[in-house]
Amino acid sequence: MSKHYLSQDTKKCIGCHTCEIQCKLNKNLPVGPKLCQVIQVGPKLVGEIPKISFIFMSCFHCENPWCVSACPTGAMQKRAKDGIVFIDKDLCVGCKTCVSACPWGAPQWNPNIGKVEKCDYCMDRIDQGLEPACVSTCTTNCLSFGTVEDATLIRRERHAASVSSFDENS
Amino acid sequence: MAEKICVVRQTIIYLSDKIRSGYLSDPKGRRISEQILLLIEEIAEGAASLDHLTGIDTLVESYFYEGSPQPNLEVGKALKETIVEHREIFQSHIETRNCPSHDCGKLAPSPCQMACPAGIDIPTYLTLIAKGKDAEAIEVIRRDNPLPWVCGLICTRPCEFMCVRARIDAPISIKFLKAFAAERAMSDRAYKNPPKKEFNGKKVCVVGAGPGGISAAYYLALMGYGVRVIEALPVSGGMMMVGIPRYRLPREVIDREVAMVEELGVEFCYNTRFGRDVTLEGLKEEGFEAFFLAIGAHKAWTLGIEGEQKFPKVLDAMTFLKDVALGDHHAPGKNVVVVGCGNVAIDAARTSLRLGAESVTIAYRRSRNQAPADPEEMEHAEEEGIKFVFLTIPQEILGEGQTITGLSCMKAELVKVKNSDRLVPTPIDGQDFIVKADVVIAAIGQYVDTSGMEAFEGVNWSRRGTIEVNHASMETAMPGVFAAGDAVSGPATVIEAIGGGKRAAYGIDRYLNNIPQPRMPRIPVRQTIESPVEMTASRKMTLKPPVMPMLNMDRRRTTFQQVELGYDEESVRQEASRCLRCDICRRCGKCVEICRDKMGIDALQLGYMDFDVVTETDFRTTAENCITCGACAANCENKAIVIDEKDGQRRLVLCGTVLNSQTIQYCDECNAVLPSAEYLQFITNKTGHVTQVVDQRLLCNDCQRKIGARVNHPIP
Repeated sequence: MSKHYLSQDTKKCIGCHTCEIQCKLNKNLPVGPKLCQVIQVGPKLVGEIPKISFIFMSCFHCENPWCVSACPTGAMQKRAKDGIVFIDKDLCVGCKTCVSACPWGAPQWNPNIGKVEKCDYCMDRIDQGLEPACVSTCTTNCLSFGTVEDATLIRRERHAASVSSFDENS
Repeated sequence: MAEKICVVRQTIIYLSDKIRSGYLSDPKGRRISEQILLLIEEIAEGAASLDHLTGIDTLVESYFYEGSPQPNLEVGKALKETIVEHREIFQSHIETRNCPSHDCGKLAPSPCQMACPAGIDIPTYLTLIAKGKDAEAIEVIRRDNPLPWVCGLICTRPCEFMCVRARIDAPISIKFLKAFAAERAMSDRAYKNPPKKEFNGKKVCVVGAGPGGISAAYYLALMGYGVRVIEALPVSGGMMMVGIPRYRLPREVIDREVAMVEELGVEFCYNTRFGRDVTLEGLKEEGFEAFFLAIGAHKAWTLGIEGEQKFPKVLDAMTFLKDVALGDHHAPGKNVVVVGCGNVAIDAARTSLRLGAESVTIAYRRSRNQAPADPEEMEHAEEEGIKFVFLTIPQEILGEGQTITGLSCMKAELVKVKNSDRLVPTPIDGQDFIVKADVVIAAIGQYVDTSGMEAFEGVNWSRRGTIEVNHASMETAMPGVFAAGDAVSGPATVIEAIGGGKRAAYGIDRYLNNIPQPRMPRIPVRQTIESPVEMTASRKMTLKPPVMPMLNMDRRRTTFQQVELGYDEESVRQEASRCLRCDICRRCGKCVEICRDKMGIDALQLGYMDFDVVTETDFRTTAENCITCGACAANCENKAIVIDEKDGQRRLVLCGTVLNSQTIQYCDECNAVLPSAEYLQFITNKTGHVTQVVDQRLLCNDCQRKIGARVNHPIP
């Protein structure tokens, strides 16, 4: 796990896909590869009410990334200083082993250049002190980027709020 | 922009960089740039027409709209300058589908085509022949060579010496396949002339009806010129007719192909010698505006030894072969000695044998390896019983009265001399000997007969007595006078004369239209890209070149029937499909490198791709290790090696050869196509130490995300 963490508050997400668009613009990607993707789960009837969830899926930047192990050329790498899993496209030969190895569908195929593209938390941006492109334009502020410690705290707070007696839905 | 690499490639790099780097921040400027880039890429791929250039011109102008930001103006200006300055390079990429500097990787012509003096698009017509499309193959050949049948029988086949397949086993029998296709197309009445342009009112006179003259006449006639061919002999074909014996090249073959040229309206005047029967002034008065000299090299060198002038039976090979060709079918004598060992010497020897000579000996002053004759021809001569004596220098012709009794010779050894690459034969003292002979035929070379050419005062002649020309246009120093063939090169080959005649035809066309002549010869044109013939790796490896069936030996020693009987149809189709298609795969070796060095799989054993150090090639071994990952295909510039999916199999195909075929798996969720089991095993081997082997369902990328989303975030 990288020391960064990108968390999504699924309750806030309205599925506007702005994050996907911003990501593509920032990385200049053609039709096809989606480094981050908002997946719609549902609609499903919960009691009488149809409910829907929008789940933000990009890359988890695993502690032991299968894609890095699978890559025969050393193109897929883990950045030593913060654990970001990224691809050096100059080394990529387009064998797609990372695509097949990843259980989360994170590495994406760019048919235009015959190489793999992958979320790198916008390394260049965060090195300049900016947020990843997707986070920067999130309309509902459901995406947040920070350290793993921040994220666990957010999650605890969110959970605490959901189980608190003030919440009528719980 | 730097001047080192091809301008087209350079422009692509420049534009891509400007687009990728985000330098062109203006959306309109970026859109224009992307459109221009697409057009230039198509030019570099050989998929463009001349409209592409006009299209680019228009697009470049649209950079300069009112209020256009600085980056647009800068890129626009740079492109405009490049296109104006190097327009002809872009144009030649479009017209010839060729990149002379090979920087535009996709456009490299095959080695065989580059080796052919006429630049025939060999891989294309071989593939057409393999597919049984003989008439189409002939059509492709005749764009560069109007005499495919003749060349199919007697070409010196420089293409075969460059054939890449020779690095695996044996070169493709390119030569004869042409002859088969021509014969079949002719027999099917499918051997057709291409449509010719309307008569443009201009007339060209061709001097000499040999291969050079016929070739020029053909292309000039197609371009709409009125062509008259002046020929001193009573027959057409020049040296092909009176030099090459008919057991190698039947007369009918020349007649049929010349008839095709006549059909285009070319006028042949036989028994007409330039300078005697017609004059330059006379022809100019008749309205001929350009002259093409293809008079060949018909005069034989004499031996310059004692006794040569004394006996009537000292013949020169050229006159002898001509007399036989024109109907004198008498044996020159009982014991014939031919001096020299070029193709003409072999022809004279084999002709003497067929006319009834009891013994025929070829005497040559160097050794077998140095002999200029085609080794195959020498072998055929030996099979027929012709004797060779090497390292033999003729000294004197001996005889009594008018009759020759023998040829006195000196034994020689080869000595290395300063300033010469060729070993020089030097007599060894005291080893003289006599070869029994009643006829001596000198076949030590020919030169150009300049009689009758006096009218062409402005033409420069070289020290060797040949005509000097600019080799790109075949233009002589005299305006409006062009020349090609043996008259320019000295005794050479039919195919060189054909190539020269074609270049001259284009040169004459430019001259008569006041277009400046090119400085460099045209680069061979790749006509189309014919889809390769598909076959298994085993078949591609095990196909063997057919053996040429020969006439039986008794007939070879007594008659002038054609010696090489030709392959049967099945052999022809098979042989043509052995072609590796070097017009598609330019053997850069990137696929091998990636598979071996990057992937660590090393499944591609394609040693033939390395020009310098040829290692073993075996298409069959690929299937043993290949995981059909497709990294090779993803990196192939020319799409020569591709991954495709057919009948539930994922296949790796190199120029039609199926190197590997593995069963496709499907996503358990949505049935999307997934990698093969071998490929997944490769990944498991790599990731085994970090992943626990669990009972996994086979899922595609999309489903993995979807299921991941559902599992992790159930709907609240």
